[in-house]
Amino acid sequence: MKILVTAKRTPDPYSKIKLKPDGSGIDTSNIKFVINSFDEIAIEEGLRKKEKFGGEVVVVSIGTQECVEQIRTALAMGADRGILVDTGGRYLDQLGVAKILARIVEDEKPDLVILGKQAIDDDANQVSQILAELLGWPQATFASKVDIDLNSKKAVVEREVDGGIEVDEVSLPAVISADLRLNQPRYASLPGIMKARQKPLKTVKIEDLKVDVSPSVEVLKFEAPPQRQGGKKVKDVDELIQALKESKVLPF
Amino acid sequence: MNFGDSQELQMVRETAEKIYKKLEGKRHEIFQKIKRNEFVQEIWDEIAEAGLLGAIIPPQYGGTGMGLLSTAIAVEELAKYGIGNALFVLTVVAESCIVRNGSEELKKKFLPDMASGKVKCALGVTEADAGTNTFRIKTHAIGKNGRYIINGEKTYITGADVADYILLIARTTPYSEVAKKGLPKMFGLSVFMVDLKSKGIKITKLGTRGIEGMNQCTVVFEDVEVPAENLIGQEDQGVWVMFNGLNPERILAGAGAVGLSEFCLRKAVEYAKERKVFGEKPIGAYQAIQHPLADVKIRQESTRLVVYKSAWAYDMELPPQEIMFLANCAKYLSAELLLYAVDRAIQTLGGAGFMEDNFLIILWDSARLLKTAPVSNEMILNLTAEHILGLPRSY
Ligand SMILES: Cc1cc2nc3c(=O)[nH]c(=O)nc-3n(C[C@H](O)[C@H](O)[C@H](O)COP(=O)(O)OP(=O)(O)OC[C@H]3O[C@@H](n4cnc5c(N)ncnc54)[C@H](O)[C@@H]3O)c2cc1C
Repeated sequence: MKILVTAKRTPDPYSKIKLKPDGSGIDTSNIKFVINSFDEIAIEEGLRKKEKFGGEVVVVSIGTQECVEQIRTALAMGADRGILVDTGGRYLDQLGVAKILARIVEDEKPDLVILGKQAIDDDANQVSQILAELLGWPQATFASKVDIDLNSKKAVVEREVDGGIEVDEVSLPAVISADLRLNQPRYASLPGIMKARQKPLKTVKIEDLKVDVSPSVEVLKFEAPPQRQGGKKVKDVDELIQALKESKVLPF
Repeated sequence: MNFGDSQELQMVRETAEKIYKKLEGKRHEIFQKIKRNEFVQEIWDEIAEAGLLGAIIPPQYGGTGMGLLSTAIAVEELAKYGIGNALFVLTVVAESCIVRNGSEELKKKFLPDMASGKVKCALGVTEADAGTNTFRIKTHAIGKNGRYIINGEKTYITGADVADYILLIARTTPYSEVAKKGLPKMFGLSVFMVDLKSKGIKITKLGTRGIEGMNQCTVVFEDVEVPAENLIGQEDQGVWVMFNGLNPERILAGAGAVGLSEFCLRKAVEYAKERKVFGEKPIGAYQAIQHPLADVKIRQESTRLVVYKSAWAYDMELPPQEIMFLANCAKYLSAELLLYAVDRAIQTLGGAGFMEDNFLIILWDSARLLKTAPVSNEMILNLTAEHILGLPRSY
């Protein structure tokens, strides 16, 4: 089975994010970039399915040339080949990203697309849903377990919802988005890193895909969340209720 | 000249970091084992799975041939989180001897199992009367009918209680005979791979401290039979084989120390930013606290450079003497660096520096060890004065 997975280049979730003084974005100096944590889970799931059923895992990253690092890491984890869609640094909104992926899917014709449920930078959580819509494929988002039956060409997907687990059945090809508990991604072993040297990595220029990616969303400004104010100690319950009333937290 | 990590080395760093994150959940158990001087198999298994044990082994023998620099970077990175595994380093030492000097047969016999982590190897050089002066070792091997018979006693052998093999340095020509015949002092030593389960071997734990989670042992050999093919390199020419093992040991010891110094710095800086003693300023605002930490950082950077350069020299297969000078620089500087780093971190934490859970006071032992072993800093100065500066031999 052929599986397409995604690898967005995002800041390391452990790094300290600072904004540029003019609010036009984040200050990327001294920041380590990694594969989006949820995409890593998607890649791992793709690899496990390949190990079980055979086939191929193709990893796609959309962004600047620097995304080659994330593709190579995915190849070192075990993916078979990589595709970089070089945007030349232009801004894409989620619809634009989904359109590009839809184009790649048309070319590659995978049996399954697995994406992270969201990227840890903009936390948009939209691309997988839009992609499924564009392709007209069934989708199962926030997967915490994926079982595939190749005979019936179906995937049974568990999703963690409030108060329990929802089980969905989708026919393949389908789009699945990976949640945190789907698996524990492997790391790139040294043999994997060496093998990645030989694996094909294709670069496609965004212009050559001939899709309209003019954004319908405009980013106006980045702002840091407000600094947390220091707390206040109260003597007793009465004082607490009084304070809550004053701060208008209580509805009465 | 290029000082940046290649993308592949960057990946090795990330892999080491992920190993730590994977082990983080078992932190408490691992810590308890280390306190009991118990071998932490969990760490070994992760190192093996990541392929770190096969980095200097060529692909045809189950490794990757990625090189000692990648191993050094992994050792450094793991040490930043306080993770060490001395047998990992010692096994790499044995691998190095086999890769550089072993017969085809030996390579096939040992390297794949070492790369996969199935075989752990200790290092047996030191004897009660021969530490700094290796030429005085008395353990001897006599060749007979396709095998060697070994007798003698090694001491301070790290991990002999948990290893499968020992890389043994023994005499095949007695020192007295070497002297009598006017042969070079280097002559007469040979290096063997000896199965620690062989008949005639007795292992006794010593009451040493210095390497977390590991014991040192005496290993007695009484008529121990070793197949002749387990000889690495040529008989009587073992000194050159040994150098090919001791260089990576010093380089990796240096890499570990650089990583551990970062572990100390992180602890100290984090504490210094929070701890308030007089008024509202944290202690990190005092120059008496911050200057020594900045000093550690500067020394760390320079030590790291020489550690990497020596690993690079090893990977480039420069002449062993050239590698040895760099490896000695790495070991010397890193021993001073680490001891100073632990000292300053403990000082920054005050009483908390002595809490075992903060791991600094536990590190103190290993930091101190590095000035004495694998080779003492005095001996490195001796060797440098004599061989690099051309000064008269002082001893
Ligand atoms: C925790 C630990 C783990 C060890 N693990 C191993 C192991 O796995 N395998 C192994 O083979 N060995 C191991 N060793 C042994 C270690 O390598 C030796 O202890 C070290 O080489 C010093 O030898 P020694 O103890 O005989 O000291 P000595 O040789 O007796 O030296 C005593 C002191 O005199 C100094 N000295 C000697 N000669 C001179 C000179 N000419 N000029 C100036 N100073 C001099 C030395 O520097 C040292 O400070 C270990 C030791 C320890 C403590």
